[in-house]
Amino acid sequence: MSKIVVPGEVVSDKPERMAYTFSDGQKTYATALSLLNEEGKLVPLEGPYEPIVEDVVVGYVTDIRFTGYNVELGEPFSGFLSSRDSRATFRLGSIVQARVINVDEVKSIDLADARGLEGGWLEHISPVKVPRLIGKRNSMINTIAQMTGCNLVVGRNGYVFVSFAGNHSLAIEAIRMVEAQAHTTGLTDRVAALLREKAGAKNMNAQAGMAGAQVNMAGMPTSQMARGQDDNSQM
Amino acid sequence: MTGASKSKPPLLREDGKRLDGRSFDELRPLSIEARVLNDAAGSALVVWGKNKILAGVFGPRECIPRHDESPYRAVLRCRYNMAPFCSLEEHGRSGPSRRSQELSKVISEAFENVVIAESYPKSAIDVFIDVLQSDGGTRCAAVTAAAVALADAGIPMKDMVAAVAVGKVEGKLALDLSKEEDNWGESDNPIAFASRNGEVLLYQMDGQLTRDEIDQAMTMGKAAAQKVHAIQTDALRRVYTRAGEVALPLSLKPGEARSE
Repeated sequence: MSKIVVPGEVVSDKPERMAYTFSDGQKTYATALSLLNEEGKLVPLEGPYEPIVEDVVVGYVTDIRFTGYNVELGEPFSGFLSSRDSRATFRLGSIVQARVINVDEVKSIDLADARGLEGGWLEHISPVKVPRLIGKRNSMINTIAQMTGCNLVVGRNGYVFVSFAGNHSLAIEAIRMVEAQAHTTGLTDRVAALLREKAGAKNMNAQAGMAGAQVNMAGMPTSQMARGQDDNSQM
Repeated sequence: MTGASKSKPPLLREDGKRLDGRSFDELRPLSIEARVLNDAAGSALVVWGKNKILAGVFGPRECIPRHDESPYRAVLRCRYNMAPFCSLEEHGRSGPSRRSQELSKVISEAFENVVIAESYPKSAIDVFIDVLQSDGGTRCAAVTAAAVALADAGIPMKDMVAAVAVGKVEGKLALDLSKEEDNWGESDNPIAFASRNGEVLLYQMDGQLTRDEIDQAMTMGKAAAQKVHAIQTDALRRVYTRAGEVALPLSLKPGEARSE
């Protein structure tokens, strides 16, 4: 049975080095509101993004300069994408997916390998819940992409790109559900059930039947693409 | 002091108990609800006796004005404010006042000891504490609310903070003073404790106590702070039993509030 711990609560009776803890030399204490599982590992329930090199992030362009672009990555961070590290050109407000290549001591983030994402919008979820949204071997995100026909790109920083193609609002509903219930078990099944119910209902509502089917068919190739990108986001 | 009677009212009942029927080492009813605001990273509502305090945490976020920021750590800014309608009588006035600036400062400094701000250089963590309804002991309730809101926001902290006041009423030490006891009693000592090791993070003294009385007050305060901490922890855990849903139960009544 896993247990919710608050800051300052003992997580181990001996000093240990692990994420989201500190030690006073005798015991180890939690620093954030987190879930302590049976193996004694901490999974944070809330908290800001911790940028790490090689993270794949999603954000939007907030400033264009001669040398590159400023990319908003969710507070308090913004990244800098140098024109040298990116062939693509962007406009103000363009949604981009990029890789973190450097984080310095004041947490300035340098980005590279940027790719523009078009025809969709950004949802923001708590960054600590991103692993849950991706799921074990992409299971969660694949389920959502397949069932809604949406193209989804998840950034480590908590921004999720959701394409307008496919059942956009249903995909967002599923993402919100994952965020709200990230600490519970058996979530993938419940999300799948929700998607089946809602997607099925939609097809029945569309009396013609074929129209709904076509939307899904059109959506299929994009969801295939989405899976390729999710492999990236997992790195 | 307009509106209040000028002469000291009796602070004990005939049966020797305090005005609200409490014994000397008893807290007022306290209940806490975490995650009550939609747009704040973390938030808490504390209903403590007749006090109603709302705390919201924003950040870490960009530090404005820029000259306040530090390349070494996030700046922690707590703002204590009393709502214009908060007062039961004359206590409190909205907007910046000498009193609210002092409280904002001491609360910020109490939390600087526990928040691990080094992880977020060049940013600011803002804690807004609003007193919606006031009785005695708003600063203790404010610290208690801010601690829950910070934890709810997932801000890394070495410890939780729980605060309680110990005072002297009619020559006897009393826990968690109400407004009348605060105004007319001999001494009021708000104390904030770090919950893990009992370190004192805030101690203010109004009126005087002897050394022995301070020792005794600390023991009383520490025991009470542990009870407050248990309620804080419970509030944070309950957020996840209602699936992270946001709810602001302003209708929480002190009568319904749970103690211990």
